[in-house]
Amino acid sequence: MNRRAFVRTMCQGGLATFACPLVTFAQVRQRGRLVFVLLRGGFDGLAAVVPHGDPAYASLRGALAYEEESLLPLDGTFGLSPGLAPLRELWQRDELVVLHAMAIPYRTRSHFDGQAILETGIDKPAGSADGWLNRLLQVMPGSRSGIAIAAGMPRSLSGSFDVQTWSPAKLGVVDDAYLQRLAVLYRGDAALSGRFEAALHQQDMVGEEPMAGSGARRGGIAPLMRAAAHILREDGGPNIAAMEFSGWDTHANQGLAGGALDRLLGQLAEGITAFRTEMQAAWATTTIVVMTEFGRTARPNGTRGTDHGTAGAGFLIGPNVAKSQVFADWPGLGDSALYEGRDLKPTLDTRAVLKAAIAGTFDLNAAQAGRVFPSSDNVKGAYHLMG
Amino acid sequence: MDLTLRALNRFGLGARPGERGPISDPRGWLRGQIGGAPPALAAPEVASPTAIAEALRAVRAAGQDQAKRQEARRRLVAIALAESRACLTQRVGTERPYVERLVAFWSNHLCVSAAAKLQVAPLAGSYEREVIRPHVLGRFEDMVMASAKHPAMLIYLDNFQSIGPQSAGSKRARGNRAQRGLNENYARELLELHTLGVDGGYAQQDVQELARALTGWSVSGPGEPGAGAAPAMGRRRAAQNGGATSAAERVAFAYRALLHEPGSRTIVGKRYSDEGLAQGERTIRDLCRHASTARFVATKLVTHFVSDTPPPSAVDRIARVFRESEGDLRALSGALVDLTEAWSPDARKFRTPQDWLVAVMRAFGVKDVDEREVAVLRQLRHPLWSPAAPKGFGDSLQEWADPDSLLNRGELARTFTRRGAGRPIDPRELLEVVDVPPADPLRTLVADASIPAADRVALTIAGPAFQWR
Repeated sequence: MNRRAFVRTMCQGGLATFACPLVTFAQVRQRGRLVFVLLRGGFDGLAAVVPHGDPAYASLRGALAYEEESLLPLDGTFGLSPGLAPLRELWQRDELVVLHAMAIPYRTRSHFDGQAILETGIDKPAGSADGWLNRLLQVMPGSRSGIAIAAGMPRSLSGSFDVQTWSPAKLGVVDDAYLQRLAVLYRGDAALSGRFEAALHQQDMVGEEPMAGSGARRGGIAPLMRAAAHILREDGGPNIAAMEFSGWDTHANQGLAGGALDRLLGQLAEGITAFRTEMQAAWATTTIVVMTEFGRTARPNGTRGTDHGTAGAGFLIGPNVAKSQVFADWPGLGDSALYEGRDLKPTLDTRAVLKAAIAGTFDLNAAQAGRVFPSSDNVKGAYHLMG
Repeated sequence: MDLTLRALNRFGLGARPGERGPISDPRGWLRGQIGGAPPALAAPEVASPTAIAEALRAVRAAGQDQAKRQEARRRLVAIALAESRACLTQRVGTERPYVERLVAFWSNHLCVSAAAKLQVAPLAGSYEREVIRPHVLGRFEDMVMASAKHPAMLIYLDNFQSIGPQSAGSKRARGNRAQRGLNENYARELLELHTLGVDGGYAQQDVQELARALTGWSVSGPGEPGAGAAPAMGRRRAAQNGGATSAAERVAFAYRALLHEPGSRTIVGKRYSDEGLAQGERTIRDLCRHASTARFVATKLVTHFVSDTPPPSAVDRIARVFRESEGDLRALSGALVDLTEAWSPDARKFRTPQDWLVAVMRAFGVKDVDEREVAVLRQLRHPLWSPAAPKGFGDSLQEWADPDSLLNRGELARTFTRRGAGRPIDPRELLEVVDVPPADPLRTLVADASIPAADRVALTIAGPAFQWR
C-alpha cells in the first residue's frame, strides 16, 4: 500500500475509533484562507516598489536607481522592479494592492524588536504576548485551524490556540511499513493519536511532487509556496498559514536588475504566482499579506547596500481585494521629508492593512479585528482595500 | 506505573539500561543527588574568557566588511558549538541527572538567547556555567543577582547600553549623535519573567523606575559596542575604580557610576535611596523575596515537574517552601521530590526535543556528543540557549507535540538507528527504560523477530510511550 492509500484508509476507515483531526463537524467550517508571508531581515521597499516619479528619486538612490523603462508600470509614480514582473497578471486581474510608506507602529531599527512588534501585533515590545495570527484564531468564529509552514514555530502563530507546523521532511528515511507500525503505536495514546494522524495527512496532501528538486531544502520560495497551497486548498484545511523567508537584510551589493535582491524578488513573485495556480478553486477565498519588520535607508550606504530603516513596502493579494492599486500616502523623498533625515517616513500602520485583510477574508467586524490588535483603537482599518 | 522509572525519567534525564535495578528508593535516590556542591563544568578549550573576548572583538572590528564578518561569525559559532557539546555531554553522562535537569530549568527561566543577538552566542554557555550552575542548589536571589551582572544577560536584554537621562555622563554627551538613553528591556523582563510574573503586581511606572535604578550596569571589554563619548567617559572611571582592570582580556560586568541615573527610586511600593550600584542590588534582592515571586516560580516548577495544568495544592506547598526558606533552591528541590502530586499515575509531561534527544542517547548508552546532535536540536527547533523570546522555551504538550514534530522524531529515530548507535542494541533492553503497560502493542512489536532489530529500536524511541516523562 502506498502512503496516500494508507493515510486515506487511516482517516476514513478509522473514523469510528478516532476522529480525523482536520475535520470537525460540530461547527460551521471557515472557508477563508489567509497566508501571512514575513520577509525577515527588513526588505528594501524602495528597491521593490520603485517611486521613479518622485523628483528626488534618481539622485537619492544614486547607483541603486532604476531607469523607468526597466520597471513594470503601476501608475505615474510607481513601478515594480524587474524581478517582480511575474506579478503583472495579478495586477491586471485586480488582485494586487501594493502598499508603501508602511511601517510597524513602534520605531526601532532592531530586527529582534521589529519582528516582535510585527508578529505580536502589539504597539510596543511585550515579552510574553501571543502572536497576532494566534489571537486571530482565538477570535474567529467557526471551525478553524492554523499552520506554520516554516522550520520553526514563528512568533506570529505562537499562543494558546493549538496550531500545526509543517516543514519539508526527509521522508526518504521512513517507509510505509515503518510509518504504519508507528501509527499503530500512536493509536493507543489518546493524547497523541490525533496529532500523529494529522502529520500523516499533511504529508499526504503535499505528496512527493512539489518538493521535487532540492530547492526547498535550500529555502527556495516557490517550492515551499507550492507545498503550502497543497495543504491549504483542502476542504477543511488550515485557514491561516504563516510563512517566512530570509535573506532580505541587504547591507551590501544589493544590485539592480539581475542582482542579488532582484533575484530574490523574482523567487518571491514566482512563489506567489505558483501558489495562486496551485490553490485552484480555493484561491477564490484566499488572501496573501506580505510584510517585513522595517524598510531600509533611503540612500545607499558605502557598500552598495542599504541599512536598517523605517517605512517600506508590502503587498495585499487575492481575489477579494477591491481593486488593484498602489495604496500609499506618499511622504516624498526630499531631504526634509525623510524620517530622521535618512529613512522613508511612515504614513501607514501595518495594523490598518492587517485589520482590513482579516475582516475581508473572514467576515469579521471592526470590534473583532480590534481584539486581534489590542491597543489599536486609534488605527482605523483600511477596510476599503477589500471588496 | 513504575516509580523508579518516574524518578529516572520525570525528575532525571532518562533511564539507562541497567540503571533501574539497583535503585530501591526512588525518592531517596533523587534526594541523594541534591546533597553537596553542584557538579561543576569546565569551559571548553576554545571557549576560554580570552577566546570569547577575541571573538567578540573580531565582530566589532569587521564592521560592514562581509568577508571579515563571515570569519568573525565562524569564531562565534565555533565557541557556541563547543559549549553546546559540553553541555549535552554533561547531560548525557551525568550520574546526578536531577541536578542537571534543575540546571536546564533555571537556565531557561533566566534565559539568554543567541537567536536574538549574535554577541550572545559565545557567552550563553559561560552564562550557564558561571551563573546557573554554581547557584542551582543555592539561593534564588544569588542566582538572579549573578544573572543581572553577567555580560550575556546585560547584552541580551540591552541593559549595558541603558543610560540615565540625568546622569553626568549623559549630560556631558549632549549633542553627540551616538548618545543613548534609558532602555527598559531588562527591567521589564526582570519583573515579568524572572521574579514577580506578569500579574505579580507591578506597573509601567515600576518598570521605568527599575530601569533607572539599573542604569550604569554595563559591560567592559570587547562586548561593549558603540563606544560613544558617554560610555568612553564611564569606561575610564570604571577602570580607575578597578572595576575593569582586566577589560582587555575578558568581557566582564562593569558598573559605570557616571551613567547611573541619580536620585532615589520607588519600585513596587518601596523606596530606594541612591547608593549607586547598591540601589539596584537591594531592589533585586527585594524582588526575589516578594510573595509574587514565590508563587510565580512555584507555578513554573510544578508545571515542569508535575503537569501542564499544575495542581493548586502543589503550587501552594512549593510557594510556601520558597517563602519560608527565603528562596533556598536545595530545599525547594527536595520539596518537589516530596510532592505526592508528582508521583500520581495521571501526572505526565511530554518530553521537549532536548529531553527526548538526551533520553535517547542515555538509553543507547552513548557517551560522545558531536555536531550532529547539536544539528538535530536545531532541526527540532530546540537548540540550546536560543529561545525566540525572553520568556524562554515552553515545556508543554501544546508547545512541542505538533504533528510535524512527531513525524520528525519518527524520521530521526530511523536515522539514528540506521547510522548505528556505536554498539548493537537489543530492542528488548529498551523496555527497561520506558514505562510500557503490559498489554501495550509496543511489547508485541519489540518481540517480533520478523522486524529488523534496528527498526524495533527506532519504533521504541519514536513511539508514544517514549515521548513522555
